[in-house]
Amino acid sequence: MWGSLPILWSGFILTLALSAVSIAGSMVLGLIVAALRTARIPLVPIVARAYVEVFRGSPIPITLLFVYFGAALYLGYSVNLFVAAAVGLSVYHSAFVAEIIRSGIEAVPAGQHEAAQILGLKAHQTFRWVVLPQTVKIALPPLIGQCISLIKDTSIASIIGLVELMKAGQSIVDRTSDPLSIYLTVAVFYFALCYPLSVWVTRKQRKVVHQ
Amino acid sequence: MIEYQWRIVLAYLPDYLHAAVLALRITVLGFVLAFALAVIAALARDSGSRVLRFAGACYVEVIRNTPVLLQIFIVYFAFPTLGIRLSAVTAGIIALGVNVGAYLTEVVRAGFSSVERGQLEAAQVLGLSRLSVFTYIVAPQALRNVYPSLVNNLVQVLLGTSLLSTIAVPEITGVATVINARTLLFVQVFGIAVVAYLILSYGLSVAADVIRRLLFRAPSAGRPASGTPKRRAIRAAIGTRP
Repeated sequence: MWGSLPILWSGFILTLALSAVSIAGSMVLGLIVAALRTARIPLVPIVARAYVEVFRGSPIPITLLFVYFGAALYLGYSVNLFVAAAVGLSVYHSAFVAEIIRSGIEAVPAGQHEAAQILGLKAHQTFRWVVLPQTVKIALPPLIGQCISLIKDTSIASIIGLVELMKAGQSIVDRTSDPLSIYLTVAVFYFALCYPLSVWVTRKQRKVVHQ
Repeated sequence: MIEYQWRIVLAYLPDYLHAAVLALRITVLGFVLAFALAVIAALARDSGSRVLRFAGACYVEVIRNTPVLLQIFIVYFAFPTLGIRLSAVTAGIIALGVNVGAYLTEVVRAGFSSVERGQLEAAQVLGLSRLSVFTYIVAPQALRNVYPSLVNNLVQVLLGTSLLSTIAVPEITGVATVINARTLLFVQVFGIAVVAYLILSYGLSVAADVIRRLLFRAPSAGRPASGTPKRRAIRAAIGTRP
């Protein structure tokens, strides 16, 4: 049991790296999709909406498998698993991030836009100095909540063979046949990562609702 | 060529169909379990006993802060070492039910607290027993108020079934993986799987909406959403996605 801790630890480091890269990727993609979703160009919002709906109505393993086999077919089987997992996670979660950002933007009252216009601010200035700060305040707690989902979803990268924390645990179980203590240890790792974030989100959400 | 590829994959349509039926069965049973657990945990979390409150909080926090895939593995691979042997489907139903139950606990609690105090006081004055207050006053209103979140979580159980392919349950993702290994036509194979999930999740939402209309006809029909547009938008932003 104790001898397997170094393997779990290196898996944990990979989970951390995958989470960080995918969170960054999903935020950037999500911001783009949210912008397209609210754009005043014909057809573009519909396409963006379809993108969001497809990922919200389908499970993440499909996305990961699709990216993995797609990459394997076109790039050969030497495809980098970390990159495939990061792309799949980013794309899938970007749909949820986009919805959070969009509803955050729409939560800013119209009066704010009008006031900014009367004060002579240009459109981009209005967005940067009036809309964005308020959007961030509203959207940050649910965005962190989405990060927690993403961190947990990195475990699903194990199905394409990436040896992150979950797969590291699996490989130890295969050799030692002591599933209970190994999987509970893995659970402790994930819990230590997610629980502080959850506490923060709960506290912030309470504040937003009570304001 | 492309037409030929589609024909190959479409020949597996009966397999997809069986997989979809199994996924739907697991979803319904998993959700029933989740709802039962959620009501118990919600009552525990709002009870007068400190021990019960702590136990309820532990359940919710531990489950919500660990991956569902890990929970599935613990039920299927680790429980047998404790002498509990389950089939893959049963293990899947239990793991998904326990997982979504933790999210539903908060939904059910929100439902209970959404019932106005005046309602309880009025019922008490009318001399209703505590049980009838719960079944006739609190439960119907709570159910109506959190109904959209319940449907959300039902869809979450459906999407969660995809993870059961890891313990060899022949649901949609598992079947798709097998067909993909045989044909290597991943675009068609996973495309059909995505369409199957979209049909099922959309179908579940529609079915739930029909049930809602039948169950809660009078007061909820045509009632405008409460709160200012800003407050509604904030509520939408905070959302209930687990």
